[in-house]
Amino acid sequence: MAMKIGDKPFKERVSDGIGNSFMRGAVSSAQGRLRSGRLNAAEELGNWEEWRKLGEEIRAHTIENLDYYLELLSENVTKRGGHVFFAETAEEANEYITNVVKKKNGKKVVKSKSMVTEEINLNEALEKAGCEVIESDLGEWILQVDDHDPPSHIVAPALHKNKEQIRDVFRDKLGYDKTEKPEELALFAREKLREEFLQADIGVTGCNFAIAESGTVSLVTNEGNARMVTTIPKTQITVMGMERIVPTWEEMEVLVSMLTRAAVGQKLTSYITALTGPKQEGEVDGPEDFHLVIVDNGRSKILGTAFQSILHCIRCAACINVCPVYRHVGGHSYGSIYPGPVGAVLTPLLGGYEDYKELPYASTLCAACTEACPVKIPLHEHLLRHRQEIVEKEGKAPIFENLSMKAFSMGTASPSMYNIGSKLAPKALGAFAKDDKISDGPGPLKNWTEIREFPAPKKDRFRDLYKKRKKERGK
Amino acid sequence: MMGAGQVYNRNSFLDNLAKNLGRDRRRQVEKPAWNHNPQWDVLKDASPDELVEVLKQQCLRIHTDVHETVSAELPSLIPHLIKEYGGKSVVTWDDPRFDEYGLSGLTGELSGDEIAVHVWDCEVVEENLAFSATADVGITFSDATLAESGTVVLFSDKGKGRAVSLLPVIYFAIIPKSTIVPRMTQVAKQVHDKVEKGEPVPSCVNFISGPSNSADIEMNLIVGVHGPVQAVYIIVDDK
Amino acid sequence: MRPMKVSLFVTCLIDIFQTDVGMDTLELLENLGCEVDFPEKQTCCGQPAYNSGYVDKAKESMKHMINVFEHSDYVVTPSGSCGTMFREYPHVFKGDPVWEPRAQMLADKTFELTQFIVDVLGVEDVGAKLNGKATYHTSCHMTRLLGVKEAPMKLLNNVEGLEMKPLPHNYNCCGFGGAFSVKMTEISEQMVDEKVQGVEDSGADILIGADCGCLMNIGGRIDRKGKPIKVMHIASVLNSR
Repeated sequence: MAMKIGDKPFKERVSDGIGNSFMRGAVSSAQGRLRSGRLNAAEELGNWEEWRKLGEEIRAHTIENLDYYLELLSENVTKRGGHVFFAETAEEANEYITNVVKKKNGKKVVKSKSMVTEEINLNEALEKAGCEVIESDLGEWILQVDDHDPPSHIVAPALHKNKEQIRDVFRDKLGYDKTEKPEELALFAREKLREEFLQADIGVTGCNFAIAESGTVSLVTNEGNARMVTTIPKTQITVMGMERIVPTWEEMEVLVSMLTRAAVGQKLTSYITALTGPKQEGEVDGPEDFHLVIVDNGRSKILGTAFQSILHCIRCAACINVCPVYRHVGGHSYGSIYPGPVGAVLTPLLGGYEDYKELPYASTLCAACTEACPVKIPLHEHLLRHRQEIVEKEGKAPIFENLSMKAFSMGTASPSMYNIGSKLAPKALGAFAKDDKISDGPGPLKNWTEIREFPAPKKDRFRDLYKKRKKERGK
Repeated sequence: MMGAGQVYNRNSFLDNLAKNLGRDRRRQVEKPAWNHNPQWDVLKDASPDELVEVLKQQCLRIHTDVHETVSAELPSLIPHLIKEYGGKSVVTWDDPRFDEYGLSGLTGELSGDEIAVHVWDCEVVEENLAFSATADVGITFSDATLAESGTVVLFSDKGKGRAVSLLPVIYFAIIPKSTIVPRMTQVAKQVHDKVEKGEPVPSCVNFISGPSNSADIEMNLIVGVHGPVQAVYIIVDDK
Repeated sequence: MRPMKVSLFVTCLIDIFQTDVGMDTLELLENLGCEVDFPEKQTCCGQPAYNSGYVDKAKESMKHMINVFEHSDYVVTPSGSCGTMFREYPHVFKGDPVWEPRAQMLADKTFELTQFIVDVLGVEDVGAKLNGKATYHTSCHMTRLLGVKEAPMKLLNNVEGLEMKPLPHNYNCCGFGGAFSVKMTEISEQMVDEKVQGVEDSGADILIGADCGCLMNIGGRIDRKGKPIKVMHIASVLNSR
């Protein structure tokens, strides 16, 4: 699965989302829980704003000096006997990884959750090379077993599925014969996946934060699958988006503390695993070989632009968990593995406006995302900036909108034009008004009145009333 | 010491980043002193006993059992707990602290109850994993302990296998009271200082906070997914 | 004491559609002892164009508004969203040697109505009386971007006869979003429906808000669905006697 999911047009995706009542129930209850979890965790600290400022400082400095820190990271990885491959494209990354696997004669690849490997479509490349690929994050595994259903949330990928659906998937695909109780489903997954872990020859992980000073890769999980993937197989391949890096352990610590709080309201997740190179001499478990693949895949185009701060994102999904639009349309509506506000900003940058020009408009600019972001990315401002690019640079705005905006500019920049326009409003709309309201409006009002009443313009505007009043008072 | 690894495509990749950032490659960057440092304020003035309290409170929230004891009692408490939690097979680190705390006789002590004990052994590679994969209980000491998050920190090493705290159904962490610090900040600083001094970082540093869990099915918390189903912390007064 | 001189920025929605809210704002400020004028050359803050990505076109309205309020001591507006737009002007003109400083001057003297009453006038009880059970919609721009969180509730809690009910999910946007409401109607409908449901669940029979855009959206939906809920702007509530 690449970044793009599905081929349906935006409107159809949204209608599908809105029509999926289970998904919407699941999303709204998840939003409720995750939101209060995050707020409680922040409140407990008492000075969350200080943390956010620190998070922003760290991210801004690191991205501003990304070439330096990536070089340092790669030096330190190789010092510990690991290999580093810099991949400008998805194809380059996949080719390197499949070659490593072939050289090791690897047959079974176990993976822990990683968005970037979804983005570059690694699974398909490995499968083409004759490998069996097994996702080990419970949510990801459920989706994989269900014929590669796409993820709908970057932290909880199977959020859109209920336990009955999961039971049926397990039954139909794997002969599961127990109930839909989450504990029983999870136990089944534990047993199935335990067998896979013990037989796997290659482990593939993502990366939450690479630490430049020591060549370390840190992984944040609750299930323990990333530990499995990096403890048992003989070869470990870690794939990281090039921006997933911090200068030192001290910054890793801060950002991990913020990630777990912002994502799920936990002080720390059950496992934070920091891995430096392959296992050392005399050590029994851990990989003998370690490869780090650093992926650009369109990210570098964002550097040096007004959108640069979207690369500060630490993938906590806090913006998704508060988004009132995501709440109703769900993750698949975004047509990308990166949904919600961060997705609406990032996806068009990585995938282009051609496929994703609706996304920046799928927001009321309510700024709930900006408020929730632990590293203070001005997400709603980026959405606005996209709209500006679409209109002013790409010339992709509809003609009607263009004309009406010209009229707006003329009408509001000049008081006389405004005066004429606003005076005409009651006459222009009068024919449509009944009992002081318009129920079936013309032109752009049509969409409004499809679902709501629109007030009829008043015969006397406020400015007319004001003038009269002033006159009466003889001032 | 093993040989250095290879790097591929670095220069073209990083040159492109620098170009997009509108400047030449940076070869030296001074990390600034951050203007905000709230992480150092957390539990700043807490006494060792207060830290123990914070740790215990947090363990209630992360489904982790806590037992407290003094070092003299530890050798009898551990076998007792293994039996209480129904352990029939036990794997432990090969760590001098087991000796120091009088736990080296564990194997003999438990043989009467037909409980098998395996001590991590770097001479027999496969046996370690095979035993751990089916063991009921894995036991390690904590190398550092974070009060705020209820976390034990494990530094991997020859005798300190990663699997001991991962594969068994139940995980016991023995926590010497002196290892308890306020939060992750102190341990990260300690590792950072090591790096600054040119000392090697352990190949695997695990921060473990309770049992493994997942909320991937309808956001219901399920305790025990791939890692241990149960976590037990034993806090012990130092020798 | 010299009366506080206030210029009213009434917003285009109020000028054309909600004239009574404009009159209530005027009376309310006068009753609080302000000397209020209405610069007649005022038009619109530019937000409709700005939020649709037409920044250059929006700048024309913005420059006009900067001129209109050049000599005002205070600019007060009964809209959190339009007030936020004024406060954003320096950001929009960033780096412009002429307009950035002028935009900053306007931003610094602009206040949303309840913010002005509580923070500048220092008044928390305006002596209003209104019987009923009400709930308050916290509009997004006013709360998150302008940062006005406490002032409306302080004032409403002191209205005699008014019982305030909490609004479930009050932090969620009502689905207005300017052009969003007509561009993404299907999504907007879901959002406003949940908001209306929340108002119903609150047990209130009056919905109060401080932004005409949100109120037109929620009110228009309430009206379409025939719900027995009255929709009032906070200026009208505070001007009830």
